[in-house]
This record gives sequence, C-alpha cells and structure tokens, in this order.
Amino acid sequence: MTGFGKRMALILGCLMLLGLGAGAALAADTIKVGVVLPLTGSQAKFGEIEKNSFLMALDEINAAGGVNGKKIELIMEDDTGKPDVGRSAIEKLITQDQVSVITGGYSSSVTFAMAAVAQQRKVPFVVVTGSDDKITEQNWNYVFRINPPASEYPKALGSFLTEVVKPQSVAILYENTNFGQSSSKAFVKDCEEMGLKIMMKEGYEAGAVDFKPLLTKVKAANPDLIYMVSYVMDASLLMRQAKELDINPKLFVGGGAGFTLPEFVKNAGPAAEYVFSATLWTETVPFPGAKEYVKKYADKYKESTEYHGAEAYAGMYVVADALKRAKAIEPDAVREALAATDLMTAFGPVKFISYDKKTQQNRLPTYLVQWQKGELETVWPKDLATKPAVFPVPKWNER
Amino acid sequence: MDVLLQTLVAGLLKGGLYALIGIGMTLIMGVMGIINLAHGQMMMVAMYLTFVLFTFLGLDPYFSLLLTMPALFLLGAAVQRWALNPLLKVESLLPQNQVLMTVGIGMVLTEIMRFIFTSNYQSLKTGYSDATFFLGKISFSVPLTIAFLVACLFTSLMFWFLLKTDLGRSIRAVAQDAEAAQLMGVNAERIRTITMGLGAALVAAAGTLLLPVYYLFPDIGKPFTTKAFIITILGGLGSTVGAILGGVTLGLAEALGSTFLGMQYEDLVGLVIFILVLLFLPGGFKRLTKV
Repeated sequence: MTGFGKRMALILGCLMLLGLGAGAALAADTIKVGVVLPLTGSQAKFGEIEKNSFLMALDEINAAGGVNGKKIELIMEDDTGKPDVGRSAIEKLITQDQVSVITGGYSSSVTFAMAAVAQQRKVPFVVVTGSDDKITEQNWNYVFRINPPASEYPKALGSFLTEVVKPQSVAILYENTNFGQSSSKAFVKDCEEMGLKIMMKEGYEAGAVDFKPLLTKVKAANPDLIYMVSYVMDASLLMRQAKELDINPKLFVGGGAGFTLPEFVKNAGPAAEYVFSATLWTETVPFPGAKEYVKKYADKYKESTEYHGAEAYAGMYVVADALKRAKAIEPDAVREALAATDLMTAFGPVKFISYDKKTQQNRLPTYLVQWQKGELETVWPKDLATKPAVFPVPKWNER
Repeated sequence: MDVLLQTLVAGLLKGGLYALIGIGMTLIMGVMGIINLAHGQMMMVAMYLTFVLFTFLGLDPYFSLLLTMPALFLLGAAVQRWALNPLLKVESLLPQNQVLMTVGIGMVLTEIMRFIFTSNYQSLKTGYSDATFFLGKISFSVPLTIAFLVACLFTSLMFWFLLKTDLGRSIRAVAQDAEAAQLMGVNAERIRTITMGLGAALVAAAGTLLLPVYYLFPDIGKPFTTKAFIITILGGLGSTVGAILGGVTLGLAEALGSTFLGMQYEDLVGLVIFILVLLFLPGGFKRLTKV
C-alpha cells in the first residue's frame, strides 16, 4: 500500500469509528422495531406501499411524542420474497439489532418461515399481510396477526352470492402458492355449503405468459361464476385473455390480492370493467382515519394506496400502542402488551383473539368491491355500498 | 382435436419467442464458453426501452425494434468490452469469474431499472394487444403471431449471417476453436464483443416483441434467464439449430403440460424434459442434428 493509500485508510477508519459512535448514541434513546418486507423481487411493489405506510405512521407517532418520550426507529429488512432470506432477516434483527418486536411480513410463504423463527427466539412478530391460515394455527404465542386469514377473504362474497347472484356453478383458478391454495381451499368449502357445483379448480404458476390453455378449459366448462386468486399482473393477463376468448360467466370475481390495485385497471384496461373482488378494506370503511390515510398517502407519495398499505399503517400503530403499554421494552413484556391490544385503527378494530383453530388473530369484516367505469366501488355489504352492484355483467360483445 | 390443435398452436407461437431468446444465449455460450446469466435482464432493459419509446414518443413496439436492437447491441458489446474481456486476461483456473460477473451485471441492471422506474408494474396497450384472428376454430393471438413471424425472420437472418458472411464464419471459427482461429488471424476479442452484442440484440428483439402481450417490472428478467438457460441446455451448448429446437420444444411442452396436466405443472413439464435430455441426450438436440 502506498503512503497515500495508508493515510486514506486511516482517515476512513476514523470516520467509520466516529460513525459507529454516533449510531450507538442515537440508538440509546430510540426504541428499535424491526420490519421485514419484500423491497426487491417480484413483490417489491407491495413492499413499497407497505414501507411508505409504515414510515408515514412512524412520522406521525414520533411527531406526537413517540412512545413515552422515546422515538421509535424502524429497521427495515428486505426479504426479497424468499422464505430463506426472510428467515435470515429475522435472525439478523433479533441477534444483531436486538429489536424487541418485529412487524411486516408480506408473502404467506415468507411470513410463515419468519414466524417460526420469531416464535423460536421468543420475540413478538406482528404480521400485517401474510394471510395463509396456518400462520396463526400453530399455537405460536409470539405471533400476532392483524389481517384476516386467507380463508376469510370471501366472507362478504358469500352473502352476496346467496342473496343476490344465486349462481349454480363455479370455476376456481388460483396461483399455486401458500396464499392461493389456502384461499381456494376455503372457497371450495364455502361453495359446498352454498350448494354450488365446482366445474373445475386449477392452479397455475405465477408469471405465466399464456393463460389460454387454462381459459379454454374454463370456457368449455361454462360456469356461472369464475373465481380467481391472483396477484396483480396475472390478474390483468387473465382478464385480458378471458376477454380475448370471449368468456362470459355471470360474474368474474377476484379473491383479494391483485384485483383491487390501481395497476390492475391500468394494465387490464377495459377488461377490468365490472370485475368483482373480495377485499379486506376500502377507503369507504366506517373506521376513523381510513379516508385521511388515503388522502395523506396520496399527498405524500403522489400515488394511490390500497388495503395492503392500510394494514401496514395500522400495524405501526398497533406496535406503538403495545410499546406504550409494555412494562419494559423487552420481548416478553411487549408480547404481554400486544396480547392485551384493544385499539381502533384505520384498518379496523384490532384485538387479538382465539377462535376455531386460530390464536392471537384479529377478526374483521370483509367487503366486496367492483370496478365500475375505472373506479373501485364498494358494492357489498349493502349498508356500506358506494354504488349498487352491476349485475348480471354484460357480455363482452355487448359492451 | 380442437383443444389439441389450439394447444399446439399456442405452444408453437410461444416456442418461436423462446427460440429467439435461446439463440442469443447459445451464441454467447458457443463463443465465450460461458453462460450469460444477465440474459433475461438484458431483455428486461430492452422492454423498458420499448416501454419508454411507446409512452413518451408514441412509437409502435414493432417500429422500436429498430432502436432497441442496436441499443442492446451496444450495451452487450460494452459489457463484453469493459467488463468481461478484462477478466479473460486474469489468471484463473476456470471461467467462473466471468459467469459471476454476468450475475453481477444482471443485478446492477435490475436495480438501475428499479431506481429509474420503481417497482411499479407497467404494460403498454396497443390496438392489437388483445386482437385475435381465427383459422377454423383455432384462435391466433395477433401480437404473438407477429412475434413468431419476426422471430422466424431473425432466426433465418442469423443463420444466413453465420453461414455466409466473413464475420459469421469468424464467429463460428472462434466458437469451434478460439486459439486456432486466432492463428488464422481472427481477432477473437473483437469477435467476442460482437457476439455478445448480437446475443443482446436478439434477446432485445424477443423482449420488444413480447411486451405488447405481457407486462414489465424490474425483476422480470430472472425467469427469462432461467428459460434461456434451459433452452440452451436442451438444444446443446452453442448450437443455433439446437436453440430453435429447444425453444420450440419448451414452448410446446409447456402448452401441452398446462392443457393436459394442469397449469400448475407448466414449469414442471419443461424441467422434466430438461432432466430427461440431460440423462439420455447429454449433448442436447444438437447431437441429433449435427449442425
């Protein structure tokens, strides 16, 4: 190494030491909270919405005085949409950053893997999105979930079907992942209870170019109802190709996830019109702060948000509330506080209860929305509807 | 019968695009002896270029082929010239460090695109995006058919180029034996740069042709790198005819698999064929064709 190089190394070394010192000083008067989200990879779009929502809630909480005078500091980790990366992110947050509570969790498969680590390490994990039923069916007392499990997404759809549509037959298409399987299985059960005939039930690999083989079969089966559990771009392609093949069921229904996003209507274009979707949350829900959240998000990030963002936004408030009530800022005390949560958020009331096989699960109503003239309108339950449902859906060639 | 025919048509159309993706990869493989693991990512860059040209200048994707292909040629050549060729001069036992470099380049390209365009999903809609025509009872998607025809055109051009031109012969010479070619006065380094450029331009064409029917986000590259890899192995490393056969086989296998087994097995069928070929035909389809 030359003299100059040595000097540079020395200076850099000093800078690094200084940097570390400053970091330690800062950490002493903040409370660290770990957040794991898919910030890169194919789910990055949702990770971004949730990250923005977490940060927005964080700013509001810190501006209002933080937690008993201390500010919260979020440590964001990227799970890249892969379970193994998610696991190591959690390990890092627990051992290196020594956080006393973790939140986030987008994809079901990743969340399930992460929850197992959190439970093993005895650090509370507040799941905001991962919706596979089994996440809260393991008797894991360090795992809490704010969003309803996947099997409950179509609850509102069920009553709409029995009271209004009264279909005879159904075709179910789902993304072949934890989330897709969990949702479709639950919907099959609902269909059996309603006495619906299941013409076909088939999975597909996310990211397919050509859905026509699948849709050709759907067309041949000619069901009254097509139920799809898909992420946003698969959802757009499915609808575009259904239009291409001129498939005309009485109604198209999306089972949450992709069908409610602004990207869906942007990419599917006219094929998105009149598509129904089950959703966990809309702007028009009767909870305080919901409308304000949407407006604040749009003002701050110049983009529209959707239910995933609301989950994250509420998640931050739930964590802050638990930290406020915790006897000490350490995992077990925070767990106790979380278990006693009873908080109203923009996403709905949050209270972790046990029912059926589930433990520490928040229970919420779900909604049915429909795309009408490029706008997402709540159509069911009736008392919250912004517009009446357009039903039966006109055939493609009659539009 | 109709279902079978429809499936074959869908598989063939998709296979044409796959072939175009595969030929670029196999060219690079043949000449450089390495797998370009940034192949799909280069395709993604071309798709973003197409997207930008369409959204801001209103250029039709088929017209923008004339711009995206040269642009990606330059990108590919630059990558080879300034990132991969220098590595050739470094002493190492295996060509692994070049492969690792392509992995890095793929990541850099993805993250640059994420930085510029964010992770948002994009797609472009042209008047013909969802258009179809019918031959008998079989439906053909207009953009996929055009893509197939253009892919055939480029493939034949590539063939003619490799067989009939001096440059093409030099490329084949370097692929067969780089040292001997150098002794005959071929500038192997220049050939490598050009080949990488050509490979990138071909995959750019595939990306531009695919965009009207598909969608786009920064991470779209990786699955296509995997596809290209499978096609190249199926076809036999470095074989152009093999890449075409490999591409069409993969397209057909995926289509047949998704119709008759179920769409969740789409990737599975492709991969099973991949393993079978490795087991029973280790050299890939080029063993059968001898080209």
